Amino acid sequence: MRGSHHIIVSNSTVKYEFDIKRNITIIKGNSATGKTTLVEMINEHYESGDESGVTVSCDKECRVVAGREWKLLLSNINDSIVFIDEDNDFLPSVEFAEAVKCSDNYYVIVTREGLSNLPYSVDEIYGIKSSGKFSSLKQVYHEFYHIYGDNPPIMDSHPETVIVEDSNSGYEFFNGVSEGKDYKVISAKGKSNIFKEIIAHRGEKILVIADGAAFGSEVDRVMKLVSGNNRIILLLPESFEWLVLSSNVFSKKINSDILNHTSEYVESAEFFSWERFFTQYLIDTTKNSYLAYSKHRLNPVYLHDVNRKAILNTIKHISI
Amino acid sequence: MVSVYFGDMHGVIYNPARYFKNTYTDEWIVDDFCKEMIKDVDKSEVIGPRIIDSPVLGGITPRELSGGVKTLICMYKCPDKVFNASACGDNCAKWILEIGKRKDIMINLRHIMDFGSGEFNIKVLNTDQVVNNMEELIPIAGQFVR
Repeated sequence: MRGSHHIIVSNSTVKYEFDIKRNITIIKGNSATGKTTLVEMINEHYESGDESGVTVSCDKECRVVAGREWKLLLSNINDSIVFIDEDNDFLPSVEFAEAVKCSDNYYVIVTREGLSNLPYSVDEIYGIKSSGKFSSLKQVYHEFYHIYGDNPPIMDSHPETVIVEDSNSGYEFFNGVSEGKDYKVISAKGKSNIFKEIIAHRGEKILVIADGAAFGSEVDRVMKLVSGNNRIILLLPESFEWLVLSSNVFSKKINSDILNHTSEYVESAEFFSWERFFTQYLIDTTKNSYLAYSKHRLNPVYLHDVNRKAILNTIKHISI
Repeated sequence: MVSVYFGDMHGVIYNPARYFKNTYTDEWIVDDFCKEMIKDVDKSEVIGPRIIDSPVLGGITPRELSGGVKTLICMYKCPDKVFNASACGDNCAKWILEIGKRKDIMINLRHIMDFGSGEFNIKVLNTDQVVNNMEELIPIAGQFVR
């Protein structure tokens, strides 16, 4: 499945209206906001159609998966939007992640747990906000983050430490940028190590750079750690490759529509996350050229003055 | 006191809502403390043991209460059991602390619940430490859950 899908679910007392844009969407938040009610209504509509009294409007079939037979159920569902409530203990399992990985379904998962086996975006974590008796989805983390929407992260002087999620090209780029400057760049060697690296460097002025497209499972504990601390800034672009693609290093080579309407181009059965899509797109676009990109080792051309500045220019309000 | 085990735990009741559905009694619902929790978390008024007035859903039975408040009631009424408290949103946190003032309870958390900006006493079973605020809790809990 690809693209953005508008969903309206309603009965006589409640109405939900929202868009699903990626293969994995997380719903969390306070109790009694209607998360379980939403899943139950979708299931009732699937079982009994309009006779249920529930109306579901969507260009894709909406299904619910639950219980011990989840694998069997899932193996028979294609090209659908699958909703799963929080009371299913298979959610954190590797088996479930494997099932999601090559699936042409989209998944909407109700959970407060960080699902470390699933690469979901910090942009696709929502709470349900009620407005009178009607409800709509809102992005939980937008009110905390300074990165997205109207609140980009701001760091007006150099950090003392930059913690980078990547250990390969992304790290090599930012490490190269730091040469001759008075801050150090550390590779966390994976998103799950960022939390402990922040603790290890507490007290310092820290800039954390991680791939927002797959950082969803980590963002809760990291946000709780840095919340209220203006000496720690989180920069969560989609990925390092997205930063490169968004820069004017390529100017004419890039189809800007891919960056502006990414969901229309990412086939969920092919790419587990947008981070992987952007990596592949960058590799394909630069193949056999002097800009040939490899995730494992940074092509030094990206550190040439013009290219380095072009990539850094995509990072607004942060000085490194 | 509230004791918390962070992360995957054997023997925990992972789905407290289901446990509630199959064990609750009329007496649980009309208990003054439970009524207070229902009023605060679900914004709903207990009219009688089998009817509750919800501002969103209208007249409901206890089975239609939120998963969070069902979990709170289970914790309060069955302190010998360990419930998955990640079925509760942050708006339930103050009630978990309140239950802990009345009874010794053990809960299982699979995420870092926000217990607010005040002081509290929570025993973290993973490290056998007592923490008194979120600043102390987060670095410890974050070692075990995301």
